[in-house]
Amino acid sequence: MTTSSFDRNRCTRISPSAVLDDRLDGKDLEWARDHLRRCEACRERVEDFREMLLRVGRLPSAVVGSAAMDQAFALSIPDRLRSQGGTRSFEVAPATPAPSVPAPYDLPPAVRPEVSSIPDLLTELEREIFRDEPLQDHPMPLSPVPEPLYPALTDRPEAIEPVEAADQAEPPKATGPEPAEPAAPETLSGPLREVHVDSHRQVDFTDWDREPEPEPAPALALEASPAPIPVPTTSNAVFDQESALRIDDESEVAVAAPPRKPDTAMRIAVGLGAAACVLLAAVLYEGGLLKTSNKVSSTAATVAHSVHPSTTARASVSPSASPAASVSASTAPVLYTLGNGVTGGTMFRIRPGTAVAGYTRLVFDMHGGGLPTMIITRPDDLHVVVTFKDTNVTGAPVNGISSYHVTAVEPGVQQGPDGSITVDLARPVRVTAFTLAATGGYAWRLVVDLHTS
Amino acid sequence: MDQVHVEAPAFSARAASVEREFYSDFPLVLNYVARLIDDIDGAAAITCAAFRQVADGLRQRPSEQGLRRADVFRAATELSRSVLRPRRWFRRQRAAQVNLDDFPQPEARRALRRDTVQRALTALPFDARAMILLRDFVKLSYDELADVVDVAPRKLVHGLDRSRAELGEIYDYIKF
Repeated sequence: MTTSSFDRNRCTRISPSAVLDDRLDGKDLEWARDHLRRCEACRERVEDFREMLLRVGRLPSAVVGSAAMDQAFALSIPDRLRSQGGTRSFEVAPATPAPSVPAPYDLPPAVRPEVSSIPDLLTELEREIFRDEPLQDHPMPLSPVPEPLYPALTDRPEAIEPVEAADQAEPPKATGPEPAEPAAPETLSGPLREVHVDSHRQVDFTDWDREPEPEPAPALALEASPAPIPVPTTSNAVFDQESALRIDDESEVAVAAPPRKPDTAMRIAVGLGAAACVLLAAVLYEGGLLKTSNKVSSTAATVAHSVHPSTTARASVSPSASPAASVSASTAPVLYTLGNGVTGGTMFRIRPGTAVAGYTRLVFDMHGGGLPTMIITRPDDLHVVVTFKDTNVTGAPVNGISSYHVTAVEPGVQQGPDGSITVDLARPVRVTAFTLAATGGYAWRLVVDLHTS
Repeated sequence: MDQVHVEAPAFSARAASVEREFYSDFPLVLNYVARLIDDIDGAAAITCAAFRQVADGLRQRPSEQGLRRADVFRAATELSRSVLRPRRWFRRQRAAQVNLDDFPQPEARRALRRDTVQRALTALPFDARAMILLRDFVKLSYDELADVVDVAPRKLVHGLDRSRAELGEIYDYIKF
């Protein structure tokens, strides 16, 4: 049994397409009938699919006029595959204006041999389902199978009436340069036909590309049709397929396509330019000249402050090195001043992390009766210093805190009653901060978010 | 004007077959392409190119074979896919255009207007759209459809299930 499993919330043991397209037989069909009889979800799905199928089947079609079809035939079919010099061997019904598109509910469902049995199956199922309840009808009655909606488009060649055999027995007709309408037939006495060739005709094939003329088969040597197909001026479609554009490649006159040297030269020039750019970038990279400004400024900042030039050095920095940081912090621009001025607390933990990729969150947990005064400064682009007034910060572990924005957090530095924490940034960030009161199992908190700037 | 005498080609059965198949299938392919790429103006060029491609391929086929409908639809589908593929600046730009005399006439434009079903179809992925149109609009058989979309017939049911379900969801979402 064909099953479908893309819908997790509903029964999907029936594949609606298998039912609607009549792909079931034997035991599968019996099983499907039995299941559809009992499972309302599957019945609804089949109905939904059937409605959608009918909606697509009822889409109106555009009518193509006979003149347009003749023109398309001349453009599409090579001369060797055309009978009687390109004229149609049968009559095509004149193009009738497209019928006004009625509302979907006014239209009968589409007809397809395989689908025509669907209403029968479903009707039969419904009959069985509602047999015991004659007063209850299905909310969506099935419509009967109607005649085809657009016979002109769905008919196969049988609908096209052929020309009488006597017409086919006539000798081929001479055709001049093909006008828009098929030329009037001209009866010739001999088996040869006379074809006019205008050797001075200028063919404008600027938009059509051609492939080399294939080796003509011996049998095709006599088929060379000298009547070139007038290629219409083009205005309405753009695409790029090799074979799609080879129109009239049998016509030797038309082979004279303009050369595409400028295009090729341009492409070669662009390729050489790209190669030169890549080479230049490689040379610059090897020479060390291609550094990002961030790295340069980072180095400069590190050198300027002489605090923590590297990660290894940072780990071994003693509190004695902290005055530089505190000095720089004291002269740095103040981003935020938060807190209630409570003294005597302890900042005991720094929690990193965020569920959002756009920023890094650092949460400073504090013991005490409230929030101390906290000053957040940024001495340079790659450092953020948080100063806790009258708070001990030396006990907070800082190992292993790193992220996309944070390179490391330096150990807390105690400057008298004040403690400061320096955050080394990996890249310039935008800083936001707020505080949270102690609730439940949480202590007083300072939250610092480092956003990608 | 020069006059050249050329022996008349025999009226071959293949030519007659090609002619009949072209005139019967051309409107269907044209409407399919117009629905597939949601562009009636570009459909004629793609349809002509698809027929041309298949007709050119007949040289390698046995002499009695004409234009196979599945081949034409396959070529039309691939050409439509290439048209919808985003262009890159370094790709060769070829502007091939076909302007048929009386197409698209206003009636055809009205027939192929963007109604809700068409807009839902346009929102589908290309393969799903092609599969639904070929099966439900063109009404190809499963064997022909498998030939066109290059999927095993036994896998078509699942693909159609998914495509129709997706189309139904989109339709329900945009119908109001």
